[in-house]
Order: sequence, then structure tokens, then C-alpha cells
Amino acid sequence: MLAKLTGWLLLGIVRLLTGAQARWYGCPPKAEQRIYFANHQSHADLVMIWAALPEELRSITRPIAARDYWANTPFKRWITTEVFNAVYVERAATATAAAAPAPAEVQVPAPLARAVAAAPAERIEPSMEPLLPIAPPAAEPATEAVNEVQGQLDLPPPPPPPPPPPVAPPAMAEPESPAEAAPPAADPLAPLADALRSGDSIIIFPEGTRGHTGEPQKFKSGLYTLATMFPEVVLVPAWIDNVQRVMPKGEIVPVPILCSVTFGAPLRVEDGEERRPFLDRARAAVIALRDV
Amino acid sequence: MNQFLRSLTPTQQVAALFLIVFGLLVIISTTAFFLSFREKRNPVHDEAWQAELRHYRALLGTTWFMVLIFWIGWALGETVATVLFALIAFFALREFITLSPTRRGDHRSLILAFFVVLPIQFWLVATARFDLFTVFIPVYVFLAIPVASALANDSSQFLERNAKLQWGIMVCVYGMSHVPALLLLTFPGYEGKSAFLVFFLVFVVQTSVLVQHVISRRTQRKPFAPNVSRSFNWTSWGIGIGVASLVGALFSFITPFKFGQALAVSLIACIAGSMGHLVMKALKRDRGIPNWGQKGVGVTGANGLLDRVDALCFAAPIFFHSIRWYFNA
Repeated sequence: MLAKLTGWLLLGIVRLLTGAQARWYGCPPKAEQRIYFANHQSHADLVMIWAALPEELRSITRPIAARDYWANTPFKRWITTEVFNAVYVERAATATAAAAPAPAEVQVPAPLARAVAAAPAERIEPSMEPLLPIAPPAAEPATEAVNEVQGQLDLPPPPPPPPPPPVAPPAMAEPESPAEAAPPAADPLAPLADALRSGDSIIIFPEGTRGHTGEPQKFKSGLYTLATMFPEVVLVPAWIDNVQRVMPKGEIVPVPILCSVTFGAPLRVEDGEERRPFLDRARAAVIALRDV
Repeated sequence: MNQFLRSLTPTQQVAALFLIVFGLLVIISTTAFFLSFREKRNPVHDEAWQAELRHYRALLGTTWFMVLIFWIGWALGETVATVLFALIAFFALREFITLSPTRRGDHRSLILAFFVVLPIQFWLVATARFDLFTVFIPVYVFLAIPVASALANDSSQFLERNAKLQWGIMVCVYGMSHVPALLLLTFPGYEGKSAFLVFFLVFVVQTSVLVQHVISRRTQRKPFAPNVSRSFNWTSWGIGIGVASLVGALFSFITPFKFGQALAVSLIACIAGSMGHLVMKALKRDRGIPNWGQKGVGVTGANGLLDRVDALCFAAPIFFHSIRWYFNA
């Protein structure tokens, strides 16, 4: 009850300040299972896209919240779990992990070095990169057909034991940061996969971190992983406009500026499409919505 | 009839005015509703005719909305009316700021504009402190805003950014705040009827803009300033002003003015309003948008409120100060 009231109050404030207009260009608002992926410029993105969705979709759509920001005070924790019904992802631990490898980089095995080199300025989930080749085959029994394709494409190992994440980090994360890497041993995508498995739609920000420039950064592979794990879920790109002006990094009082969320035409992973081309295509689809 | 109207109390007179306006709107809306049943294949009523009808229906919707707002404002008293206009100013400024690029360093100044300047200005109106209300924004705020910006430690395009913000405050907050201020002017023998003044101003200004629009549509003259507005030319401007001022003069019986005075103040308000509309068009052109965020044009989701009120924002301060000066109200 209290959560509902807070939700309405928050919705009122967001509408008063930003208008929170949703523009459905590529697809109608529809109660099918979807992964909305959007650009990320402010913590308020989460609130914006939540407010822009129609009432009926809001209850079946779960945004992704970074645990280090959204769960560090009891109030924020309460509001994200009770009002937004958010899924937490770990970020703090992996952020230190990303900071740590710089000196240790010399000794890291090739795949991780590639991952780190590919994302010099990124501070999120480097563990997702090395995890990728192994993750899809093991993840979802319901998607075996795709998994086979996946297996031929990436790696042909026999499906490893069910929870793939523990396999990846212990093998490669140890040299990078001995102490800090221990907590995020769990697959950062696991909560998202759980949410999708239970039939909810999710909202993710594949850039992983907030950008400072207008251009979105390179997308992380989490989107691709989820897309291949759940091929029946519709992938909807979204462009959140202007939010960084409402509340720039480091400010606490929002300024009233009109914002909108533009939803584009759904994407899907083509047969045999590689990870990077798909992620680039997804990023281009998001950017294209800026100018419609 | 005239005797009967005069015998009513001021409140009843205002109520009668609203009854008349609502009655007219009902008649027009009903007509438009039945027109929409016309057969579409009729050669006389082709696509263009249908589009025109849709356009008029949209305009009618806006009119209904505005009249309802005014009615609520009047029915619930001056304070509520002031709050209503404060909200309109808030939304208009929101639209203005959305469409003029700001930088991170402007954040504090924007907070100042929205959450300090705007409430104080309308509070000054509500408490009828006219001396402070007149100078608060042009003197105090205009000197305070650049200070807040300078403290943000960002010098790029400093003058331009501040000018934009100050201009937005001037038009949206200062201009708009003069509309409810009319409610508080006191003329001898005109107590309790100030709502008529607001109605008079809005009616006259909107008439001039509308007439000007229709004339320039029909006559297709050469635009005077094609880089700013494709429809503005002196002929249709003159006709618009003339018609609206005459209408204003004919409505002098609802104002404290005599016929000639009403003609003069309408003329002043119409010139200010139509010129203001032109100025805002130049601003919009500069931002590359035909309307303040018509659907599908801007990504911002602005809903075009500023389009409706820009003429009023320019006309209100000039109207207010000229009659206050002349009549010592």
C-alpha cells in the first residue's frame, strides 16, 4: 500500500519535472516478454523508463539497478525493491576488479587481456567477457536448439555443469585481483536470467556505466548473452533523451526539463551472428532513435 | 437586457460571461461534431477539407481547455488563479529550457530559476507587492543568475547561456505573472470585476493572433521577414491588430475603460502580443523547430504550450504597466 502510494507520488513528480513521455515508434506497448535496452546517462534513467511505460507494462517489467548505488541506503533499497521491483546487479566489486588489473595485466591469460584491452575505460563486469564463450551453452535447457548453434560458433566444449559463472571467474579472475574478485564469483547475469525465466520483462543498460558524452559507449556483451539464452524474448531498443540535463552526475536537486523515451523496432540475433557485430548493431539501433 | 445585466452583482456578471462563453463553445463544438459525420466521398469535402476540420477541432479543444482553466481560476478565487498561472509559467519555462541547450554549469542557475525565482515572483503577485514585483526579476534576478553561473566555474559561451536563461525567465515568468496581477488592480467603481480585465486581455490578444493567422493564410502575401516567419506581413498584421482592437473597444463595457481608452489599450496589447509571437518564432527558427515541440518534431516531448501563451506573455506586462501608469490603479 505504502509502496503503491510512493509509486504514484514519484510518478507525479517525474511527470511534473520531465513529462516522462513515451514515444512508441518501432513497436506498440504490448504485454509480451521483452528486454528493453537503453542508453545510460544518469541514475535517473531507471526512473524515467519506469515512468514512461504504461501502467500495465510497469508491473511486469523489472529494471536493472546497480546494487552499489541503489541499495546503499535503506530508503533506496526499499524504493528499488518495493516500488520499482528492480533486479540488482553487482557493480562495486567488479569496478574494483577493473581498476586492479592495470598493474597485473602483464600476467593475465590471453582471453582476459583481450577483454581488458577491448574496454580500457569501462569499469563494469569485465568478468562477463571471459564468461561469454562458456555461458550460453550451459545456461538454459529450454533453448537447446540455439545453444547448439552457439556451441559450434564459439566453443565446442561439452556443456559444463549447470551454473557456468563459477567456472569462468575462478579460472581467470584469480590472477587479476586476488581478494576483491572473490565476492563477484556469482554470475552477474544470473539475477537477470532468473527474472526472464520467471516471465518478466527487464530493462537493461548495456553500456554498463553512465556515459559523459552524448554518444553511448560500446555495449557490453550481457545483452548478447541474454538474447541467445532467451531467443523468444523480444529485444526492444530505447533512447532516453535529456535525462542527463535533469540531474547531471553529482547533483541532487533535479531541474524540470522535458524528457522522452523513444522505443524502436525490435531486434533479434540473426542466425550465426557474432557477438560484436550484434552489439554494434544494437548500439546503432539505439542511437538511431535519437533522431526520429 | 443591458439594464438587467447592469443590475446584477459583479459576481453574477462574471458568471454570466462564462455562461455565454461556454454556451458559444457548446454550439460550435456540436456543429463540428455533426460536421464530422459528413460523407467523406463528397467531392466538396475532400482531404484538404477534412484536414482543415481536424485542425479546427484541435484548436477548439485548446480553447475549451483554456476557458475551463479560467473558469476554475475565477471560481476558486484569486489565490488559486495565481497558482494556476504559476503552473502555466512553470510548464512554459520547462519547455523553453528544454529547447535551449544548457550545460552542466547551468544546473544551479536553473534550480534558482525554477524553484526560487518563479515561486517568489508569484508570491509577490498574490500578496500584491507591486513595487517589488515589478523590479524583482529585472533587477535582482538578472544580477543574481550570472553570479550563480560564474560560481559554477564554466566560462564557455557564458553570455549566451545566461542570456538564454534570463530571456526564458523574462518571457515565461515575468510576462506570465502579469496576467494574475491584473486581478489585483483596483479601479474606482470596478471592485470585484477584475476577472473581466484578464478575460479582456486574453480575448483581445488571441483575436489579433487568430485574425492575423487567418488573413495571412487566405491572402498569401509576400512575407516581410521570410527567415523568421513565412506568414508575417504588414498587411495581415495591420488587419489583425485593427480587428482585434475594434473588438476590444466594443467590449469596453466589461472593462473600466471608455470606448477610446479601450481601443487604445487593446491596440497596445495587440501590438505587443503579435510582435511577441514573431519574436518567439525567431527563437524557434533558431532552434530549428517549426513549433515548440509539435509531435514528431522534437525528441523532447514538448507539447507546444509556449506556442499558445507567447503572445500573452509579451502583451501582459505592457498592458499591465500602461494601464497602471495611466489610470493610477
